[in-house]
Parts: sequence; C-alpha cells; structure tokens
Amino acid sequence: MKISLNWLKEYVPNIKKNDIFIEELTSLGLEVASIIKTKKDTMIDIDMTPNRADCLSIIGIARDISPVYKKKISLPKYIKFIKSKEKIFSNIDKKISPSYSALVIKNIDNSIATPLFIKERLKTCGLKSINLVVDVLNYVMLENGQPMHAFDNQKFTGKINVRYAKKNEKLNALDGQSYALTTNTPVISDDEKPQAIAGIIGSEDSSVSVKTKSIIIESAYFAPNIIRKASKFFRLQTDASYRFERGVDPLLNEYSLGRVLAILKEYTDIGDYFFNQSSAPKVAKHIGRSILINPDLFESSLGVKISSSFIVQTLKYLGFNPDLSRKKKTGLKVTVPSHRFDIAIPEDLVEEVARVYGYNNFNPILTSDSLGNIKNTSDKTNNYSDALVARGYNEVISFSFIPKGDQENHILKSKIITLMNPISEDKAELRGSMVNSILSTCSYNFSRKNLNLRIFESGKSYIKHSDKTVIEENIFAGAISGVNSESNLKNDQDKLSFFDLKGDLLSVLPDLSFEVHTGIKYLSKTCQAVIKQNNKIVGYCGEPEKSLYDQYSIKNKVFYFELMIDKIVGAEDIKYKKISIFPKIKRDLTILVDDNILANDIIDAVERKAFNYMINIKISDIFYNKAELGVGKKSMTIEFIFQDKLSTLTDNQINDEMTKITSLLKSKHEAIIRT
Amino acid sequence: MPKNYTSLISELREKLKECKSPHDVANIKAHYLGKTGIVTNEFGKLKDASLEERKELGKSLNILKGQAQELITLQLDNIQKTKEDNNFVDVTLPGKNISMGSRHPISITINQITSILSDHGFTSVSGIEIEDEFHNFEALNIPDTHPARDMHDTFYVSDNKLLRTHTSSVQIRSMLSNKAPLKIMTPGKVYRCDSDPTHSPMFHQIEGLYIDKNVNFCHLKGVLINFIKEFFGKDMEIRFRPSYFPFTEPSAELDIKFKGKWLEVLGCGMVHPNVLSNVKINTKQYSGFAFGLGVERLAMLKYDIVDLRMFYENDISFLSQFKGLK
Repeated sequence: MKISLNWLKEYVPNIKKNDIFIEELTSLGLEVASIIKTKKDTMIDIDMTPNRADCLSIIGIARDISPVYKKKISLPKYIKFIKSKEKIFSNIDKKISPSYSALVIKNIDNSIATPLFIKERLKTCGLKSINLVVDVLNYVMLENGQPMHAFDNQKFTGKINVRYAKKNEKLNALDGQSYALTTNTPVISDDEKPQAIAGIIGSEDSSVSVKTKSIIIESAYFAPNIIRKASKFFRLQTDASYRFERGVDPLLNEYSLGRVLAILKEYTDIGDYFFNQSSAPKVAKHIGRSILINPDLFESSLGVKISSSFIVQTLKYLGFNPDLSRKKKTGLKVTVPSHRFDIAIPEDLVEEVARVYGYNNFNPILTSDSLGNIKNTSDKTNNYSDALVARGYNEVISFSFIPKGDQENHILKSKIITLMNPISEDKAELRGSMVNSILSTCSYNFSRKNLNLRIFESGKSYIKHSDKTVIEENIFAGAISGVNSESNLKNDQDKLSFFDLKGDLLSVLPDLSFEVHTGIKYLSKTCQAVIKQNNKIVGYCGEPEKSLYDQYSIKNKVFYFELMIDKIVGAEDIKYKKISIFPKIKRDLTILVDDNILANDIIDAVERKAFNYMINIKISDIFYNKAELGVGKKSMTIEFIFQDKLSTLTDNQINDEMTKITSLLKSKHEAIIRT
Repeated sequence: MPKNYTSLISELREKLKECKSPHDVANIKAHYLGKTGIVTNEFGKLKDASLEERKELGKSLNILKGQAQELITLQLDNIQKTKEDNNFVDVTLPGKNISMGSRHPISITINQITSILSDHGFTSVSGIEIEDEFHNFEALNIPDTHPARDMHDTFYVSDNKLLRTHTSSVQIRSMLSNKAPLKIMTPGKVYRCDSDPTHSPMFHQIEGLYIDKNVNFCHLKGVLINFIKEFFGKDMEIRFRPSYFPFTEPSAELDIKFKGKWLEVLGCGMVHPNVLSNVKINTKQYSGFAFGLGVERLAMLKYDIVDLRMFYENDISFLSQFKGLK
C-alpha cells in the first residue's frame, strides 16, 4: 500500500529521519518495499501481510506506530447523524452486509474542483482524481480504511437492496467491462437492476459525475469471504475489494459518512441530507471479543521478561482495552478493538507486544540438543548418488509433471495421475515412471550438443491404484550415452554399451544380479534386464524401446536403468572370513556352445554344484565365427580359480575338479571342449 | 694416412649411422675390429711391409683403429641416448577415463542445510507428496477461507488430493505419530500453481520443527542466526521482522543483507497453539518453533544463479560446474 509521509505526519508529527522510520515500520511488520521522494512529499510503499487489514489506511498505520512514538491517535472531525425516518433502502441481506449505512445528499454542487491538497495526496497514494465527491470518498478511504461508493440518486430507481444477483442479470461496470452476474454474486441494486457488485465495483449508469445533483453514499461492512469469492470469480480486485476481503472495521461505516459530510460541507454547497443504517445484532465475530491472558505467557513464549507496564501501554496504544482490575487473579483480560479481525488467542497478543518490543531485541539462545527419538527416514540414495558421481554421472532434477499423452504407450490410462488444474499442457500429468524424465533430459542435452551423457535422478514416480489411492515410489534412475570419456585421446575412447551401465550399477551395489527380461514395455525386447537383489526384483535396465527414441527424437544410443530404492537393502553386517594362505591356481577352459546358452547358464550350472576347491569362476572371453565354429555357435572361455584352506592343491586334485566341471557342461549344455 | 683408410673410416661412419641397437653396433664392430675384421686384416699386412714402410703403416693403422673404436663408442652412446628419449612421457597429454560427475546444486544445497541442522539436533524426515486437505491445510490452521486454499495456488489431482504446497504436511504427520518432544527437519519437493522467472511450479523446501518443554522465541533466533552464519560461511547482517503465517504465532520473517539489499530468506515463528491442538499435543506442557526455507533461493544466492529455470533444464554444461561439491 502506498502512503504519503506528510499525511502520516499529521498524526505522528515527530517521525524520525526517513531511513530510521523505514526500519521502524519494517520492524513492526509493516515491511517497506520502496520509497519515492517527490518535491513536497515522500511516498512509502508498504507490503502488507494479509492479516493486517487494519493498516490499510493512514490512521491504521499511525495507530500501529503510535506505541513507538508514544502518541495516541484520535479520529479527525466529523458530523454526527440523527437517523432519518425517510427510508433509503428496502432489503439488506445481512449475511452479505451485516452493517450497512447510507447517506443521501440533495442539491450538491459537484462541479467544484477538488481541493489541491486532496488531489496531491490521492496522487501520492496512487489514485486518480475524478470529481469532488469521488475524490472525497477515496480520500476518507485512504484516511481511515473505509471504502465507500456514491450513486447518482437520479439514476437510481426506488430504494437500495443488498442481495445476490438473479439469473441472467449483468452489470456494465465503471471499468468499461460488462459482467455476467451469477446467483453467487452479491450486488447492490435499485428496484430494477444491479447498480454495483457489492464491495467491488459500481455501475457506469449510476456513477457520479460533475453534473450530478443528488447522491447516495454507501458505507458498509461486507462479509470478507463473500467479497473474496466474488473478486476471485471475476478476477477483479479494486481498492474497495482489497480492503473488504481482508476485513474493514465493521463499526466504522457511520463515522466515515460523517467524516465525508464534514469535508464536503467545507468545500462545496450541499442541501438536505439524511442517514440510514441497518445492522445485524452481531455484526462480526470479533466485535466485543475479550481474551484472558496469563501474563507468564509473554516470558514463556518470548524468552524475555517484559514489564507489565510496557505490555499494558503497548496494547492501549494499539486500541486494545486491558482490564487492569482483574490482572492478578485470573490473568489479564484484554478487549479486542473492532479493527482487529486477526486477534483471537493469547498468543496473538504476545505477537503484538513482541513486535513493538522489536524482534531484533531478543537475544538468541543456541540449543543443539538432539532428542534421538526419531528414525531418520530421509533420502537413503545419497551414498548411491555420490558413488555414481565418482563414476562420472551428473545428477539431474526434473519436474514431476510431464506433458499430456507422453506416457500412454507404457502406462495404463487408468493408472495415470492427471492434474485437475495443470499450469500448462506440457506439465499436465504426473510421471508414472522416470523413463520419460530421463529421456527428455537426454534429448534436451543432445539438442545442445552434449552428446556424452551419464545422468541419474533420485525422485518419485506416481501411479493411481484406485480412485482413492495413489502410490508414490522412490526411484533411482539414469542413463548413459556416447563415449566413456570425451577427454581421452581418440584411441582410448570407447562407445558406451549396456555393459558400462551394468558395471556402474555393480560398482554401486555389488550384489545386484541381471537376468534377461522382456516384460517392460518401454525397454527394447532385445536389450532388457531385470535387476535382482537376493532374488527379489529391484529394478530394470536396458535400451529404450524404439517408439521412445522416436518420441524424444533421440538418434544416439542410450542405455537406461531404474532402481526401486525402497526395495534395495544396504550391505548387511559383514563378518570377517579367514583368508587361505595356500596358493591360488588358475585354469582356463574354452568350450563351444549353442549361441542361446547365456553366460549365466554356464556359471549357474557350475556354481550350483558346489565344487570343493573352486573359489571363483568368470567368463573371460567370448568369440563368434561362423566359418570356424559353425552357425549358431559361440566359443566361450571360462576362468576358474582353485584354492584350498588347508593345503597346497596338487595338479591331480585340480584335474579331477576340471574333469567333473567339463562333464557337467557337456551333459548340461552340450558343450564341446576346445582346449 | 693412406687414402683407402680414410674411405674405410667414412664407410664405417655410414654403417654405424644405420645401427639402431647395441646389437647392430656389435656386428659392425666384429666386421671391422673382430679377429677376422677388416682393420685386423690390415694389421696382418704389416709383416709384408718393408721396415721403413712398416713404421709409417703401423702408425696409420693405430690411428685407424683408434678412430674406429671412437666412432663405435660414440654410436653406442647415441643409441643409449635415443633410447632414453623414447622413454620420455609427455605428462601434459590428456589423462585417461576422467570421470568426475556432479551432484545437482539443489541436492548439494539440501545436503549443506541438513548437515548444519543435523548438528543442531534436527532429524531428517520425509513424507508423501500427494496429500489430502487435512494434512496440508486444515491441521495447519489454514481455514477453508484462506487464500492459499484456492484452486489458483494449489495443484489438485482429485477433489481431496493435492500436491503438497509445503513440507509442513510432513511435520503434521510426524507430530501425529511421534507426539512431543520432537526435533525434525523435512526436506522435499513442493508444488504451487505458479510459473515465472522467480517462481517454479515445483521447488524444494526444508522446514524445521522443534517441540519441547520451554521452547521460546530466543531459541528460534539462536538456531536460525547460527544456521545463516554456517550456511554462508561468514557473519551476515540479519534482521527478524514480524510477518504472518496461519500456522505460527508470533510469526517472523528472516532477512539477510545481500549486496546492500535486504532479502527475505525464510519464514518462521512459534507454532500456533491451534496446530498443536490439531495434532493432540498438550499446549500447556509443550511449545515449539518452526521455520521453512526455499532451497532454490539459498542455492541461487550461494552460487550466483540468476535464473530459476536453470535448475530444471539439466544442461550438462550447467550441472558440471558443481563438480567436487557434495
């Protein structure tokens, strides 16, 4: 909110230098966003928090700083009314407006120019000068926070009604727009049609011009919720709606009309006037509210002993009424003023005192105690991440949303979670798998000529299980593409393959196993593995399906992995095993087998039949040659390591083992021994 | 020296030039100075010469032998030297298989923050992102009428399911299951229906919550002032100013002075008694403080990043700049 410093000084004359004053405002919670100096005045723009409706005026701000300057604020002069018997309104919906005042002024000369000081102050506060009546209404709104609206009485048919709009009613408003009203729109109408959207904007028809001779001025308290909903609905915020939706002092509307009348009377000719008011028995919940506060709460909540005279004085300046007579017995009874919608509990009073005391005047106390009563459930992927980083991977973080339709090839439509109010079509669905995020990141980097990629992301995938339940799964996924290290000399550069990916994963989690798989739709059927740990499925990897390559316009080969992080168990307790001191003996065996025999088939066959001295087995070479080996055949070299715990193995002992292994492979996989 | 000796020497010189190894040189040496070598043979001619000639010839032959030997030694030295030259390693050639990746600056920042808070006794807790209105709003004293409840600011996936707008929902769940006392921090992704250069529809938050007997505003200040100092690695000018959040009372905002301007870095306050009552914590016995900060904001300040979108574009050229940080 923009305010004029000169105007404020009328209420708080001894304001200090600008920079100190700005710190004082900010320190009270009235954060200064900017200040602009003009020739005669200074404009201060304050970022008001939504709870401080009471500070949306000069008097409100003056009152809030009054405890700092020890200056009690009094309201400017006004004219007192006697309620007239002549009716200005017929039906007031008290839910929309629990308190509604109106003033009719006849024979007013609105052609008189607005006094210069009013014009200038309006300008400093960001409002345009329109004509005398409108300017005075705006002036009083800036002065005390009560928005008001003037209708041209001669354009008004019959009496004022406050009601909800009927079907098909519309309003040609002052902003030049036509608004189609709904049965949820609160309106001010005459006997025929709506003349204003209540608390938001008036109609063009009944607006007041310099020629207007007779006016009705409305000054009301509108229910904040109703105004807020209507303002949101029409996406229309005005100086009036901004105040009404936050809460205008419900007991201020009569005074404000009296204040307007006093100013008008001073600057122009007016004829007869009369005043009406309609009020609900209880205008607003907070009116007359009193709070019983235990004075110890100030110290227990703030950590500092604040004197009771400071507390009482502060509350008084802010308009509260602390009842000192009951203080000792049951606590301090404090009555809340009508301008404070936001004060409901003792802690609210603590804040009032604390902000005047100054948040920066409380001395910090450091507590570093750990309670140790809760298990750390946060990200366990940090270690895996660091391990992959050491192997050249960059961590990425992508949006949980992906474009509409991007995952329909691999996730059932009924399982996809769609946002009801997406920010855009390309962020319309939650990802059901990480593959879209990862490939999209690859694609983005390829297009920026970052062709050598090793990336991973630790994030969630989101799947709808039924209408009521959704499943969030923690996924650790990534991909590689390009060459092993682009900084290598050309001769030392190798194209990354599936086995680089597999090697990387095994370096992070050595007990993973990989099996041939075809069940994952977004992975190619010819290069796909299910990843297991302790025989339980923990993830998948392989090359993306062709349609995904196309979807992301990827021409480079990519290998993708994903691990379901909650299914992975970390290293178990390790117990040391005694190391044999006797020599290890290595033997190689080269066999010819059918091409469809997998490396795992060979190793499983041997490992399953526990051989006494074999401590390690691995495939050390593989070789295809149709001419030499025949079609559908391959040659595999297997390396065995033998060692005994108790003695040096003899050639005979090892030969015996090798014979058994050989015959096993012969019978199980029809292997032909080549060496 | 006889003419034929001079040509013999130049012939030897030429042959030695072609020698690449000590072995080659040995062969040449045998050819000239061996038992049946050319030079040795010339010595044989001495006995046939006259006495006078013999004196002259002997002198020449000794010179010839000396020169030959010198040339051979020289060539052996040369070979040895060349061999040493070939062993020379140009250490400025590229290292092999350099593979240093990088953590994402958001993760690095989260790790830095949680590590500082962990030193102050906060335990890290995570939770679900698709929340219901109770845990995201109602329990936090954010009534139906509060602007934050509008469709406008919150992503909904169904009538009652939404993407959490803050990690305070994790605090609510944690308070409901663990009760007091409690000292937790909740890092994670949060979502708001906002997108411009300074707002992202998804961003990261860390919130802290400390509930115990006799916790007050001075304790809140103690933790946060220390946190800022440790995070930026130096004393920063800090101010606390009153603010408004439905779930804290009193509420405050912490600003730091950065390049001459006050910047808002986190919101905090004493936990609102309604929030404690909502999670069945006795407000007569317990009080607490809470704070929440935006990770992107702190990362931008720390690493001089000006465009929020850089974080989610994941350009390798951007990400690689954070090498070596954890």
